[in-house]
Amino acid sequence: MLAKNTHTKALHWLGKQLFNRKDPAAFFDPLLEQLNPMLVQGHTPARIEQVIQETPDTQTFVLKPAARWAGFKAGQHVNISVEVNGVLRSRTFSLSSSPELWAQHGRVTLTIKRLPGGLVTNWLHDKPSRGAVIGLGEAFGGFLLPQPPRPVLFIAGGSGITPVLSHLETMVTRDFRAPVTLLYFVRTRQDIIAAERLKALESRYSALTLNVIATDESDKPRYLKSQDLKTVPGLKARQVFLCGPKGLMDLANELLHEHGVRKKDTHSTFFSTAAPALSPDLKNQALGGEVQFAKSNLEANSEGDASLLEIAEASGLRPRHGCRMGICHQCSCRKTSGTVINRLTGQASGPGDESIQLCISIPHGPVTISV
Amino acid sequence: MKQMTESQLQELEQDLNTIRDEVLADLGERDARYIRRVIRLHRALEVGGRVMMPFGFIPPVFVAATFSLGLSKIIENMEIGHNVMHGQYDWMNDPSLHSQTYEWDTACSSDSWRRTHNYEHHTYTNIIGKDRDYGYALLRLSDDEKWRPAHILQFFNYILLSVFFQWGVSLHELEFERIRRGEIRLRDKLPFLREFVRKGGRQAFKDYAFFPLVTLPVAPIVLAGNLGANLMRNLWSSTVIFCGHFTQDAETFNEKDCENESKGHWYLRQLTGSSNFTGSKWVHLLSGHLSYQIEHHVFPDLPAYRYPEISEKVQAACRKHGIGYNTGSFIHQYAGVVKRILTYSLPDRLRMKLTSQPA
Repeated sequence: MLAKNTHTKALHWLGKQLFNRKDPAAFFDPLLEQLNPMLVQGHTPARIEQVIQETPDTQTFVLKPAARWAGFKAGQHVNISVEVNGVLRSRTFSLSSSPELWAQHGRVTLTIKRLPGGLVTNWLHDKPSRGAVIGLGEAFGGFLLPQPPRPVLFIAGGSGITPVLSHLETMVTRDFRAPVTLLYFVRTRQDIIAAERLKALESRYSALTLNVIATDESDKPRYLKSQDLKTVPGLKARQVFLCGPKGLMDLANELLHEHGVRKKDTHSTFFSTAAPALSPDLKNQALGGEVQFAKSNLEANSEGDASLLEIAEASGLRPRHGCRMGICHQCSCRKTSGTVINRLTGQASGPGDESIQLCISIPHGPVTISV
Repeated sequence: MKQMTESQLQELEQDLNTIRDEVLADLGERDARYIRRVIRLHRALEVGGRVMMPFGFIPPVFVAATFSLGLSKIIENMEIGHNVMHGQYDWMNDPSLHSQTYEWDTACSSDSWRRTHNYEHHTYTNIIGKDRDYGYALLRLSDDEKWRPAHILQFFNYILLSVFFQWGVSLHELEFERIRRGEIRLRDKLPFLREFVRKGGRQAFKDYAFFPLVTLPVAPIVLAGNLGANLMRNLWSSTVIFCGHFTQDAETFNEKDCENESKGHWYLRQLTGSSNFTGSKWVHLLSGHLSYQIEHHVFPDLPAYRYPEISEKVQAACRKHGIGYNTGSFIHQYAGVVKRILTYSLPDRLRMKLTSQPA
C-alpha cells in the first residue's frame, strides 16, 4: 500500500513537471472527452441514464457516476457542473436515492425542480439528452440519520422531499427500527414528487406514517399547524429533519420550540437558491469598505451588503466561482487582512489571514484578498 | 503622438467601449467551442510529436515530429497560454482555463509573465523607460535612448535573443540592466531567481533530459528534435512579438505625457503604439492573433479570435478620429523591424545622413 502510494506520488510529481499543471491527469481530457466523456480525469463524470418526469415541473435524473466516485451517506448533497452557453455552472442538489442503490448498482438519482428563471435547472430540464455526461462532485453535508436508530420526524415541503426520499429508502433497506413520520407539504396533489415511490415505501415499511398535506387546495392556505405536531406520538423524543421553503422552515422551528423540541434535536438542510436575507442585527452594522485585490493590483470601494464576488465582478475581475450561495467553495480564496461578515451566518470573521468564500463574504471595513 | 483634446479622447473611449461591450454581450458557446478545438489540436500535436520523435532516425519522421512538437508549443504559447493568462476565457469559469492559475509550456513562469507582460507592458505600452518590453533593455530602437558604441552589434544581440527567446523572456524580470547600474541588488531578486530555476528547470528537464532519457538508445535524436521544436517556437514568437511594436511607424511615448492619463489617452496610445500584419487564418492562429496587435492592445481580455471580427469597427473608429492604423503584409512589417534595429544601431549623425537621403 505504502509502495503504491509513493509510486502514485512520484507519478503525480512527474506529471506536474511534464504537463505544467497541478492535475496532470487532466492534460489528456480534451482528447479523451472526444472518445468517451466518461474517461475524463479532471472531474468525476456521470452519465444521465434515465430521466423520470415526477410532476409537470420536476424530473428525476438517474446517473451513473464513474466508478472512482467516493459514494455518500443518505441525506447528503453534491455539486454538479454543466456547461451552459460556454460557461461552466455548478449547483448543489440533494441526492434522492439510497446509498444501497449506489453500492449495488452504481447508480444515484437527483430530483430537480424547474425554478422560474433558473439557469441550470431549466437547462437540465430542456437540454441534455439521455446519455449526456455531467460533472459530479463528492458528496457532503451533515443532514444524516441518527445512529443508533431513534424515532424520527421529517417535515418536507415541495422539492425539499429529495433528501428525505434518500433517507426513507435507506431506512427500509437497513430495517431502521423506530417510528418514522413524514409531514409532506405540497401545493396541490399534482405536485407530489415521487408519489409512487412514497406509496410503495408506505406499504413496505410499517414504521412509516405518511401525511401529505396540500397547502393550496382550499380557499385558505393550509400551512403547518400545531395540530399536525400534536398527532405525532412521542414528539419530544424524536429527531426532527426539516427541508423546504424558508416560510415552512421558520414556521416549523417556531412550532417545534413551542412543543418543547430541543434545538439540538432539529436538523435542517439548505433548500432554495434565493439569496438569503440578512439577519436584522447585521443590517445595523456598517457594511462595506475598501477592498484591495492584491494579485490584480486593484482597489474598489463598496457600500452596503455587496459580496466580495460581486465587488470583484463589478471591478472587472472574474474570480473562479460556482454556486454563488456559499455551498460549493469554488470561489474560496485567501483573505490576508481585514474582517468580513458571512452572509449566511451573520458572523464576523477574524481579522487575519484565512480562507474565505467570496460569494458570501461582505467586507466590514478595509479588506485585502488575494484575487 | 497625435494631439487630441480631452473631449475627443472621451469620444474615442466611448466608441471603443461600445465595440467591447458588444463582444462581451455575445460571448458564449461559440467562443468556448473555438478554444476547446484549439486545445484539442494542441494536445494532438504534442502527443503526436512526442510519440513520433523516437522514430526520428527515419529522416521524414524526424521532420514531422519536430514540426509537430514545434507547432504544439507555438499554439500553446501564443493562442492558448498568452490569451488565457490575459483572462480572455475567465468568463467560462473553467478551472483549467483560468488566467491566474494557468501555467504555460515555456521557461518563463506564468506568475512572472502576468507581472511583466499583463501588468507592465500592457499598462505602460511603449513608454520609454516604463515599458521594459520596448527593446527588452537590450536593443536601442528609438532616439530616446542615447547611442553607445555597443549598439553597433545590436543586430547580433537581436539574433541571439530570438534564438534563445524563451530564456530571454524568462529572465526579463531579473532587470539585469538595473542591477548593472546599481539601482537594485541581485539579492532583491532572489525570490524571482528561485521561481526562474524552478520553472526553467522544469522545462529543461522535460525537453532535454526526461524525454531523451526514456528513449535512451535514440536519445541524441530526441534531444535534437526537442531542441529544434523549441528553436522553432523561439524564432516564430520573437518575430511575431517584434512585429507588434517595433515596426517603422509604431510610436513611442514619454513618461511625462502619460502621467495621470485618461482611459481615452490610454486607448490612443495602444492604437498608435501597436502594429498589425495581414495573413491567412493559420498565420493568425499561430500568432495567437497578435497579428491583430492593435485590437489586442485595445482589448487585451477579449477572446483573441474575435479580433478579426471587430477589426473593421476599430479601423472605422481610427478613421473617424484621424488616427493611423498601422498594418501591412508580414514581410513589409518585418522588414520595418529589421530596418529599425539596424538603423538605430548606428550613431545618430550617420543614421540621419543615411535616412535623409532619398531611397
